[in-house]
Amino acid sequence: MSEKEHKVSRRQFLTYTLMGVGGFMVAGAISPMVRFALDPALQAGGETEFVSVATVDDLTDEPQRFDFQLEIEDAWYTSEQSRTAWIYKDGNDIVALSPVCTHLGCTVNWEGSEDHPNQFYCPCHFGRFEKSGQNVAQTPPTRPLDLYEIEVRDGVVYLGSIIQRRSV
Amino acid sequence: MKWTTSQMDMYLNSKEYVDTAIIPLIPLDWKEDPKGKVSMGEFSSILVEEVERQFKGRVFQLAPFTYLSTEEENSRLERLVSWDKHFYDNGFTHIVYITSDGVWKRVEKDLPDMLIWIPSLSLESMDDTYAKEIISQQMKQILPLITAKWQEEPKERQ
Ligand code: FES
Repeated sequence: MSEKEHKVSRRQFLTYTLMGVGGFMVAGAISPMVRFALDPALQAGGETEFVSVATVDDLTDEPQRFDFQLEIEDAWYTSEQSRTAWIYKDGNDIVALSPVCTHLGCTVNWEGSEDHPNQFYCPCHFGRFEKSGQNVAQTPPTRPLDLYEIEVRDGVVYLGSIIQRRSV
Repeated sequence: MKWTTSQMDMYLNSKEYVDTAIIPLIPLDWKEDPKGKVSMGEFSSILVEEVERQFKGRVFQLAPFTYLSTEEENSRLERLVSWDKHFYDNGFTHIVYITSDGVWKRVEKDLPDMLIWIPSLSLESMDDTYAKEIISQQMKQILPLITAKWQEEPKERQ
């Protein structure tokens, strides 16, 4: 949807809402679309800009936590939001995982539980993930941790949009 | 989860996993030290947002509980207890009140559930990186309090 259409439809929405009964009808008609757009499973993606997050020299074989800022524009305002990635070297590759638990969205930590070394741990309902992001069976998450798109330029690691995976 | 309709849908689909309500306690006062009160509200909102981000799938961040600083202590307390009861009776077994206002510390023992009181620090004169560092230090204190609470039986209400 282009920005222009977007603005018009928002204004229309408000106008109709202010008109009363008509507003309800319109709201009813568009709410399935809105719901669809906000389905948490589909929420990721949409940000294509790459942000510099770390240098290659910072990375080790062990996942490390890196925080960075993103400009997020939603329907009502633009804001700076913090994001986190767990990044490590896997041979010649670099892996950057999203810390957002694929169960209900809590933040996972590498070795967050002493009982489960070498795994990501979610404190909310004890979800676990292997180093690759693979979800551990018999814990609530049903798919692996998301990946970030990666670009490396001049020794700097840039992260882009989120990539969802059904399996590792 | 946050106080929005879209997250409400998420809540309704996964209620059984969301057992903790977070209530920010925010003072208002336009006469005595208004800026100080704003600073308390701002600081606790930042902390609450961050707690929500870490524990999104298990906590619901409620609308803030606001009150005039001049409100009688008993009436303020009574109102909060009735909020607590309402949410406790309707699905939240853990309720956490987060505030920077010291008045709650005085009545902590009369509160039905867990108070987290963090005195506010003025972030306005700090540069961004330092402010973030401060907040993440605070998080290191707050998050374990909540995970420890999850290990315990929910508090009985009268
Ligand atoms: S949100 Fe991570 S296990 Fe439920």
